Amino acid sequence: MSFLLPKLSSKKEVDQAIKSTAEKVLVLRFGRDEDPVCLQLDDILSKTSSDLSKMATIYLVDVDQTPVYTHYFDISYIPSTVFFFNGQHMKVDYGSPDHTKFVGSFKTKQDFIDLIEVIYRGAMRGKLIVQSPIDPKNIPKYDLLYQDI
Amino acid sequence: MAPPERCSVCRQTFFCGRGHVYSRKHQRQLKVALERLLPQVEAARKALRAAQVERYVPDHERCCWCLCCGCEVRKHLSHGNLTVLHGGLLEHLASPEHKKATNRFWWENKGEFQMKEKFLISPQDYARFKKSMVKSLDSYEEKEDEVIKEMAAQIREVEHSRQEMVRSVLEPQTVPDPEEGSSAPGSWKGTNSQVASTSQQPSYVDLPPAPELDWMETGQPLTFIGHQDTPGIGNIHSGATPPWMVQDEDCSSGNQQIGPSYEEFLKEKEKQKLKKLPPDRVGANFDHNSSTSAGWLPSFGRVWNNGRRWQSRHQFKTEAAARNKQQLHKKKS
Repeated sequence: MSFLLPKLSSKKEVDQAIKSTAEKVLVLRFGRDEDPVCLQLDDILSKTSSDLSKMATIYLVDVDQTPVYTHYFDISYIPSTVFFFNGQHMKVDYGSPDHTKFVGSFKTKQDFIDLIEVIYRGAMRGKLIVQSPIDPKNIPKYDLLYQDI
Repeated sequence: MAPPERCSVCRQTFFCGRGHVYSRKHQRQLKVALERLLPQVEAARKALRAAQVERYVPDHERCCWCLCCGCEVRKHLSHGNLTVLHGGLLEHLASPEHKKATNRFWWENKGEFQMKEKFLISPQDYARFKKSMVKSLDSYEEKEDEVIKEMAAQIREVEHSRQEMVRSVLEPQTVPDPEEGSSAPGSWKGTNSQVASTSQQPSYVDLPPAPELDWMETGQPLTFIGHQDTPGIGNIHSGATPPWMVQDEDCSSGNQQIGPSYEEFLKEKEKQKLKKLPPDRVGANFDHNSSTSAGWLPSFGRVWNNGRRWQSRHQFKTEAAARNKQQLHKKKS
């Protein structure tokens, strides 16, 4: 599944992707290709990527190859998905403590599609943070550790 | 003219005296009223021979209007849990008061003589009815007993099968062999599914909700790849420079190249499309080729905030000012 989606393997490539994706939501999946939850997420991403091609571009990033980004986004659990629009990082309130990224996999393809649509519409209206349309029951739970708190 | 009299059958007042009764209209009304009453009486007469006993139902409280006596009569006779169908009506029809009232009714309204017999029930008939009633009561009781015994047998059976299953599961568990242990859950599942299908629903309903929760709770726990905190370098939460904003040496050399004109043409086409997009969307005026200093920070971190964006920006500016001051001091000293 991960071979169907384009991959970015260095910081420069990620920079390039962020700066050059125009007028579409940029989805960066940070994780490892072999991890089971990442595989689930990649499956959903690849199946929806063609339907969402006009609204979003999806890339996979390996956390081991881009330590700068792993550190910047404070990625402690994989997979984590980060959203951008026109070079601007989009925050989403999922009901979880961290609004900067989506941790874990989506339960259904429709959840992901709804989320992308909400982000796209919010970005078109000039909003930097949007409310997630996904049912809080379907958001994976995890413990957020920030500097050993 | 005769004094005004009210005819209860026609439900009207007449001034004809005794003549009214012989009129066509009156006879017609009388016939209709008797036709209304007749089916009830016929049903009761049928029940004479074979009395039916049934379990009490609120429907058995219904009453029937006896035209001759001019009163409401309970149709079915009920006592406690049981009802005898048409018992009440039969009792009334057999009573001497009803006979008297029927006779008077016929004399006053000049009904047909043959019809009168149909609305009466002789005492002998009533006695017969009583006998059959007793018999049917007994048989009903027997039936009830049978049903209760059947239910008891069923319950005993189910209980027995449950005991068996519990016993069969306990026995393999006494052998502390790991292989046996793995096969026991398998047999448990097999017997469990059997019992679940035959016995009650509650135990079966518990199974589907549990797997649902599993998916979200742990199912497959997320891989933890370590705390990403090195104290010196900031991250998104602390509002550090995003890595794609950091100017690298490689980027600047790339900008100096002159791109091919075909690509520029394509870009112009894209820009035409852009004009259709809403002008106040995020990053509409983002110059993709611009070089930015570290001072431009689109996001001010602050995940844990619940105020407005300008508040976090304001906070960040004050902190940045304080930081700059500190740096200046350090440089001086």
